[in-house]
Amino acid sequence: MAFVPPARHLLRARDLADARYFEPLGVDDLAASAGLSRAHFSREFKRAFGESPHAYLLTRRLERAAALLRTTDRSVADICLSVGLQSIGSFTTSFTRTYERSPTAYRAEHPPASQAALVPGCLVRAYTRPQHRTFREDRPTTSA
Amino acid sequence: MIRIANAQLWVHDQEEALAFYTEKVGMEVRADVTLPEMDDFRWLTVGPPGQEDVSIVLMAIPGAPVMDEETAAQVRELMGKGFAGTVFLTTEDCHASYEELTARGVEFSEAPEERPYGIDSGFRDPSGNSIRLTEVRLPAEV
Repeated sequence: MAFVPPARHLLRARDLADARYFEPLGVDDLAASAGLSRAHFSREFKRAFGESPHAYLLTRRLERAAALLRTTDRSVADICLSVGLQSIGSFTTSFTRTYERSPTAYRAEHPPASQAALVPGCLVRAYTRPQHRTFREDRPTTSA
Repeated sequence: MIRIANAQLWVHDQEEALAFYTEKVGMEVRADVTLPEMDDFRWLTVGPPGQEDVSIVLMAIPGAPVMDEETAAQVRELMGKGFAGTVFLTTEDCHASYEELTARGVEFSEAPEERPYGIDSGFRDPSGNSIRLTEVRLPAEV
């Protein structure tokens, strides 16, 4: 088998964090993917990438959550869960510490997701074209 | 230069499709907005982590007047028969991806198999759309 530089195993663990952050993944899983004990893995990861695997995984999740706050109209709780974090309270705390504002305030500072999404004009035209009405149909038969 | 931005896939239920493509296939949500001014049209796109500039639009089959009932029924029927669309995905390691997706509950209709162009496998989404998952052999190896 060809020689694999040790950092390759650490990179595999970091790639796992990037690709599967939405799962209930923890530092133990990352260490296992690198084939190292947790303590040894954390030390080596930090030496290779300059931050702990815990910090890397958390900031990846926060970065993804920030993107969802900008690009979707989903609730903060929903977004928290969909980036692999279980506790809304600690998500809000970590987010606020990192971005210096709450998830809700962060969202409010950006253009609404409906603008960022850039729904194609063909769909806007298709979905806003009104139903044709004749005079007879003008008044609904049932009272509102 | 012309580039591919989004490609659309009809789905019979956006929530179910969303859960499938994110929780099982491992994609992420790129956009999810519901527009009251467009009769609650929901623009929902997903794509793989790390490939930011291409996404799949998970499109609900519209009702009238956007699409007449007869056409909508035809689209639903074609989709159910598996002829409404295919997504071709590639992976660096077909066997590893097969194991990963199987563990998340994806049922493969075709397990990884050797083909002249690489290792190929396939499954369906809940709407019946066909998804290929291929490890493409480098041209030099073909």
